[in-house]
Amino acid sequence: MSYFLPHLTNGWQVDMAILSEEERVVVMRFGTDWDDQCMVMDETLSKVAEKVKNFAVIYVVDITKVPDFNHMYELYDPCTVMFFFRNKHILIDLGTGNNNKIDWPIEDNQELIDLIETVYVGAKKGRGLVISPKDYSTKYKY
Amino acid sequence: MYPVTKDFLGKPAPPGYVAGLGRGATGFTTRSDIGPARESASTTSNSKAEDQGERFKDAENEEGLFSGLPYSADDEEADQVWTQIDAKMAQRRNGKRKDESMAKSDQPAIEEHLRGAKRQLQTLTADEWASIPDVAQLAETAARAKRRRIAADPRRGNNPGERMVQVPDSAMVGVLTGGGMDESISASVDDGAATDLRALGQARDAVLRMKLDEAGQATSLKSTDAAGYLTSLSSEAALGIGDLARARKLLKSVTLASPTHAAGWIAAARLEEAAKKPAQARAIIDEACERCPRSEDVWLEAARLHPKGAAARSVLSRAVRALPQAVRVWVAAADAETSDTGRRRVLRRALEHVPGSVALWKAAVGAEPDAADARVLLAHAVETVPHSVDLWLALARLEPYATAQRVLNRARRAVPTSADVWIAAARLEEQCGSGDVALILRKAAASLRANGAEPTRDAWLALAQQAAADGLPATCRAIVAASSDAGFDADDTAADRAAAYAAEAARLAASCYEAARALYALAAEAAPGSVDVWMQAAALERAAHGPASARVAEVLERAVQRLPQAEALWLQLADAAPGADWGRGVLERAFAANPQSEAIVLAAVALEAGAGQSARAVALLERAVQAGGSARVWLKAAALHRRLGNAKAALDAARSGREKFPASSHKLWLLEAQLQGDAAAARQTLAQALAAAPRLSPELWLAAAALDARASVPRARAVLERARVHIPRSPALWLAAVRLEASESVPAARALLARALQECPRAGCLWAESVLMAERPQRKAASVDALKNAGAQDPLVCAVVARLFAAERRPDKARAWFGRATAADPDCGDAWAWWLRFESSLDEDGKKERVEKLEAACEKAAPRHGQVWPTVAKSPDSDGLSTTRILHLVAEALAQTRQLT
Repeated sequence: MSYFLPHLTNGWQVDMAILSEEERVVVMRFGTDWDDQCMVMDETLSKVAEKVKNFAVIYVVDITKVPDFNHMYELYDPCTVMFFFRNKHILIDLGTGNNNKIDWPIEDNQELIDLIETVYVGAKKGRGLVISPKDYSTKYKY
Repeated sequence: MYPVTKDFLGKPAPPGYVAGLGRGATGFTTRSDIGPARESASTTSNSKAEDQGERFKDAENEEGLFSGLPYSADDEEADQVWTQIDAKMAQRRNGKRKDESMAKSDQPAIEEHLRGAKRQLQTLTADEWASIPDVAQLAETAARAKRRRIAADPRRGNNPGERMVQVPDSAMVGVLTGGGMDESISASVDDGAATDLRALGQARDAVLRMKLDEAGQATSLKSTDAAGYLTSLSSEAALGIGDLARARKLLKSVTLASPTHAAGWIAAARLEEAAKKPAQARAIIDEACERCPRSEDVWLEAARLHPKGAAARSVLSRAVRALPQAVRVWVAAADAETSDTGRRRVLRRALEHVPGSVALWKAAVGAEPDAADARVLLAHAVETVPHSVDLWLALARLEPYATAQRVLNRARRAVPTSADVWIAAARLEEQCGSGDVALILRKAAASLRANGAEPTRDAWLALAQQAAADGLPATCRAIVAASSDAGFDADDTAADRAAAYAAEAARLAASCYEAARALYALAAEAAPGSVDVWMQAAALERAAHGPASARVAEVLERAVQRLPQAEALWLQLADAAPGADWGRGVLERAFAANPQSEAIVLAAVALEAGAGQSARAVALLERAVQAGGSARVWLKAAALHRRLGNAKAALDAARSGREKFPASSHKLWLLEAQLQGDAAAARQTLAQALAAAPRLSPELWLAAAALDARASVPRARAVLERARVHIPRSPALWLAAVRLEASESVPAARALLARALQECPRAGCLWAESVLMAERPQRKAASVDALKNAGAQDPLVCAVVARLFAAERRPDKARAWFGRATAADPDCGDAWAWWLRFESSLDEDGKKERVEKLEAACEKAAPRHGQVWPTVAKSPDSDGLSTTRILHLVAEALAQTRQLT
């Protein structure tokens, strides 16, 4: 489903995408289109993209073609989703211990919409760290 | 630095852009063990190298530890001391090296010392050379003499020169307890920890046996019965309907969804049948008959599922009413009838409905018991279905000769594209009439070509083979002749055609004699100048009618008329009939045609000598010699004189022959050496021969070595070494050297054999020798090696393996391997002789028959080569003996060679 989402093919495009957005959250999916976890995530992203378009924009970055951020953002997982607002990396307390990013595929559309909305509301208020509506610590996940 | 833009999708980055730098992005560290350290984007790319350099630095390294300290006066002094030490060491090493090189140049090599003496050797005559005493012999005799002295010495207990060996404790204990020394390994080893040597040995034996068997059966084809395998598979699949209920449900939904689909119904019925529910199957198929009455398959399935007899008949009667045009249904209905009249009635009704069906006509004719009725029916049939060749041919077969001719003419007009009709006509003529079969088939070929239906060459040849198999030789020949143009273009030359004909004839020679003969005739006509074609034709006749038959002579007679210059054909013709008169007559004609031919003169000489007319033979040879023949003529002359007991004349002939041709035939030299009575003269002759042509043949060297071996082994050894220099990689020379060594010492021979095998790794004679020379426990392994390296097709290796089995008292295996050896190369006489030795050494029932069978097989193979065979067969004593007699002589002579014990 990644072909429904805009792809960024070099580091400059990634920077411009983050810099040029004034009023909306920028959702970046780092990964590879052919990876099965990414496919799941892309499916969810492409479904919610239309619904969240008023407060968020979603981009897809292939980390094999754009390796510029792999080191900086620790892009070692097959699928990573990060949020930016007005050129600021927004952290989320997901309960997993890693507040920087979501590094697993989300299958539920509403869950993802809730997350993006939480990020948008928190960021709009000027917060650098927001609390996820759902706790993803392992005891709930499994 | 870079302007922010909203139009970035799909655009390339500005040159030199560093990602993240423009927006001041910073990284993070989640986990110190996998993540990078926090750093700014600007330093990520270039700081990596130095970063790693520092990381991998050794903390214990002095350079690193003290590199920051100031360089003081103490340090400088220490450095100076170290450099001095280094310089001193280097000087010392240099001096040593120089001394060594000086010493080398001072002491010249031993060769240098001996160079002068070597040069003097040039002036040595052959006699002086022969009279040089052998150093090795002297040394050996000295050693032996010393040993003898020691043995004779009464004080030998105190002799310090004698070597003493300590006696093991076990021997002492054995002597004390009164028994001898126990050298064998006991069969039952009580100690579990000890290795069971016996079991190990047995296992190794089993593995070797398996390998031997495998090597033996490598040629036999392993195959599975494909048809049987598939049948068993399909029956398994039919029974293996895993889930009956599920399948039933599926098929039910199929039939419900599309009730006019016949296959679904049939599948449902078959499922019930497979589930052993015939009543349900019948119910389903009956419903199917109602739902889709236009399907033949459903009706046929219904007839099959209903019990044979009235039920099936009623189903089929309904079927033919529903489908009056269906031929298969009609045939099934006819088959369901029990009585012949019933069948006939059904088939008549069927033909009323479907008059154009060939299958129905055939069934109807087949159902007629009376030939007259059948004929009437067929007459109707060919009118209704004129294009069916089978019906025409069946009718022609039933009619008498004259009518059959008419029928076939009508058939030809009706089906002008069928070759079968023409061939039936030819067959009719050959069987009953007097017409020209060849003419009919010529017309056939022309007519078929005109109608564009000429069969391919393969099809023609298949027809010819069929005709020959039916016992119609004239038709077969005529078909082959008619096919002469098929498959060739106008630009194919006559030679191409002849080659193609000959190839086809060679292919058919075994299966169809007539066709092959006709093809050779065609080939000879196309290319009358080819000797090969005539030879092959003669070989075919010889295989079919025996070597001395009139047919062979006839073919060769025609051949020599076309090709009077072909010597080979004349020679074969001379052998084509028994009797000296015939041969003489033929050879006279041959000589008249080729007055210069040596081969013909020599054949005439052999003929006269064989017939006992030695005077004529000598006269013929004299003439040939005077005409200035080749080395072969001289050789034959010498051999003939020797055979007649005329040693002087033989010697003269050999000598003058080799003077004329010193480097073309080693046989003349050998003959001369053999004819000279005393060894010295023979040795001189051979020395002359080897000086004149050292590379001519290993035989000369072998003869020289054999002469020397009688007098002195070291001299023979030297001869063989020189021979190997001149003719490298000759297995015969190596074998002779190995055998020479073996007469002295077996370990030395083994070492030499190893070198020989390295130089000639595929030589069967050497590998066979290696098996013979191996110690008894290593023999089997050696035989496996030999088979692997020399190939399982080497007669000598196979014979040795057979002898191994014979020595193990396993006659069946031995016999199988002897069979393999003789089949691999029937020309190798040694294998036959070893087999005979083996059979005569056995003492079991049927020995006499086996020996006789072996003699007959050997007679047929007429072997001429081998290691021992030629020496026996060519000796003057066995002149004119039969192959069987020679076989027995060779078997006796084999007792002199190395035996397996």
